[in-house]
Amino acid sequence: MPNSTSTQNVSAKPNRLRTSIILLVVLTAVFLVAPHLYANQSLVFTIMTFIVLAQGLNLLYGFTGYLPFGYVGFFGSGAYATSLLVLHTHLPVLACVAGGGLAAALIGVILGPLLRLSGAYFSIANLAASQILFFVVSNPDLADITGGPYGLKIEQVYDPTASYYCMLVVLLIACGLAAYFRSSGFGMALRAIKQDPVSAAMAGLNVVRHRLIAWLVSALIAGLAGGVYAWGISVFYPDAVFTLDFSVFAIVFALFGGVGTVIGPIVGASLLYILYSAIGISTPQYFQLIYGGLIVLLVLFLPGGLLSLLQRRGINVF
Amino acid sequence: MSSELLRLVGVHKHFGAQIVLNDVNFAVSPGEIIGLVGPNGSGKTTTINVISGLLQADEGEVDFQGHKINRLPMHQRSRLGINRTFQVPKVFRDMTARENIEVAARAVHLPVTEIDPILHDIGLLELASRQAGSLTVNQQKLLDLGRALATRPKLLLVDEIGAGLSPAELHVIADLLQKLSARGIAMIVVEHLLEFLNRITERVIVLGAGRMLFEGPLSAASRDPEVIAAFIGAA
Amino acid sequence: MELLAYAVIGGILYGIFFTLVGLGLNLLFGVMRIINLAHGQFIVLGGYLAWTISDRLGLNPLWSIPLSILCAIVIGWPLYRAVVPRLQRSDDPEMLSFILFFGIGQMLTAVTMLLFGADQRSLPEDALGSGSLGLFGQEFPDSWWWAAGVSLTALALLWLYFSRTRLGYATRAVMSERDEAIATGIDVRRVSTIAFVAGLALAGIAGAFVPYLLGSVSPDLGDGLTTTAFAIVIIGSLGNPLGTIVGGLVFGLGTMLMQTYYSSWSNVVPYALLLIIVLIRPSGLLGKAVRLA
Repeated sequence: MPNSTSTQNVSAKPNRLRTSIILLVVLTAVFLVAPHLYANQSLVFTIMTFIVLAQGLNLLYGFTGYLPFGYVGFFGSGAYATSLLVLHTHLPVLACVAGGGLAAALIGVILGPLLRLSGAYFSIANLAASQILFFVVSNPDLADITGGPYGLKIEQVYDPTASYYCMLVVLLIACGLAAYFRSSGFGMALRAIKQDPVSAAMAGLNVVRHRLIAWLVSALIAGLAGGVYAWGISVFYPDAVFTLDFSVFAIVFALFGGVGTVIGPIVGASLLYILYSAIGISTPQYFQLIYGGLIVLLVLFLPGGLLSLLQRRGINVF
Repeated sequence: MSSELLRLVGVHKHFGAQIVLNDVNFAVSPGEIIGLVGPNGSGKTTTINVISGLLQADEGEVDFQGHKINRLPMHQRSRLGINRTFQVPKVFRDMTARENIEVAARAVHLPVTEIDPILHDIGLLELASRQAGSLTVNQQKLLDLGRALATRPKLLLVDEIGAGLSPAELHVIADLLQKLSARGIAMIVVEHLLEFLNRITERVIVLGAGRMLFEGPLSAASRDPEVIAAFIGAA
Repeated sequence: MELLAYAVIGGILYGIFFTLVGLGLNLLFGVMRIINLAHGQFIVLGGYLAWTISDRLGLNPLWSIPLSILCAIVIGWPLYRAVVPRLQRSDDPEMLSFILFFGIGQMLTAVTMLLFGADQRSLPEDALGSGSLGLFGQEFPDSWWWAAGVSLTALALLWLYFSRTRLGYATRAVMSERDEAIATGIDVRRVSTIAFVAGLALAGIAGAFVPYLLGSVSPDLGDGLTTTAFAIVIIGSLGNPLGTIVGGLVFGLGTMLMQTYYSSWSNVVPYALLLIIVLIRPSGLLGKAVRLA
């Protein structure tokens, strides 16, 4: 009788919802407690930032296959938009952060045509776009507006505690969105489009619109993260928020954990960033060597990331 | 005119210097089945591609239910009621058979209760929870068809579904296509296997090097001198 | 007017050199569909090789050219064998090669930094002739003429390879119709390995002139060089190595003109060109290899 398999499907969904909620609660608990256990709050703040970046990148790469090599461009845009809003308007900080996210989404709209390109073309073009943003923002000719190479200062709103909690909220939003992508019909549509865009189109899916939504959501997340990060550090040069390193970290962390899942980027970013803070800050070349080697090994032997080890054993990873 | 489902008028298509479709004209009425035959490279799949939207005609018109659909994107054509299968079945390999159908059902807002009947029609109900990538080619062809059916097509384009199938499998598919036709779905069936084609339709169009050589009963086609020349010339 | 003449002729010379920069990348993509994101790093290594020869061994840096070729064989052959067949067998060789070579690039940057330190290294001007040659009244250092000359020689040799040798014909067959080439019994592995090694060698040779054309060499130049090489290759024609000269000239002229008139914006040139071309005409000014999603 047709019933048995369809109830299986229906009951899977409440499970997913429960898993998502548990995950978000655990994350909240961990990051609320962490500053009390570990004195270096700014380190935990930075870990959260990287989890958000990895998750945001995962929203695009894990679900559509587009790898944004210039992902940091959205982060930097958010940072700059937020800071400029703080400096030039009387809006409360939170509104400026939201503005940062929107600015990044707006950049995403402008760069939307990039989605016409496939694979590596997209990645390189995205990188080029991000670099152009960096050069525009740091150009001495525009120093009056953007601070040029001297960067921006928003110390008047400096508040390490509030910005910490704000980043936690952004983290929860990012993971919540990932959970939605993973368990909803929208996410299923994205998976289908990623596997076979022609067949998906004939199945009635508007391929372009789905990709655009994933792209804009991913941009928004990076923009929000950039805005809160700018608030958190309050003083920065252009290359602190437009550095290619952030794109690289986001890509490696997400790949290492396992893209296309919700937990993968969290695990990957946490493990690797802790490793980085242990050995990388003092000897960045050794860390660069290691994570370069990690990427090579991942691609050759474990393209699905750490979580694929579990998936191979049949465990359905969230 | 308006009673026709599909009409192609003066359709031309070329890739660079190579002309692939040369002045193709024909019409399909609701519920009708037409065979599309011809040697390899005669433009059969290209015709399907132009009707389904994977390619756009360089000249000419593609009209569906009286509206010109030349520039309509694929997903909108499938919502209008055109769908197709692929010569090499394009299933979503990492999803289950049921999910393959579910993707299409969700896209066109088909109630989830309709998914199992489709699986039943294509004979894959027992395999509904299996990964599509692990199905046999024959089963994947059926799944391909199921995905197309989920969008409630008025016109179904079937591209060489018989290739590589055993006589028993062919029998099943012929029955299925007849059953779908009885429900009122019009079809264009691209085939090399003329005996299989004969079981589902009488009317064929023969293409040769992109041109229409013949339109009429299958039995008469094999006696038409141009058709014979095209097939022997291509052999 | 003087300024314009300088920018144009300099741009052409600069552009011819940058053709060499892009050539190896294009070859790798054309033959193996591999996107070598470490390309810039290999160029930087070539630059350091030239510096080591000049500074530590006291020899003329041009000796790094044959040495680069040797190193390309020694490093390239095993690297190819270790990595490429596995890539070709995977689901998405293009993207995976992209990420893989990115990782290799990171490792190379780290190694370069560890071996040579972060300082910029330059090469002595008089090693390649201390004077300057003039054309239409504009003077350019000898090293620039050397760079252009070597680049044109490399292009000519590549053209001869493609049009006059059996392996070259085979390579062209693989570039245009890979599956058919395999079917007709061409030893694709041999063709690919040679192309891979040649691509690395070309990068190394270009590296020898980087200190002259860009002022100095340092470990962090790699990323910028890779993106610039991409821009050049895509502008000309991705997959058509001989078309790289078009990209090189467009880039060279664009950069020199920008440097002359709006110098603070000159580093935007390769990125802006890449973005424009990729959005308007992804096949490049010459090519047919369109890649749309």
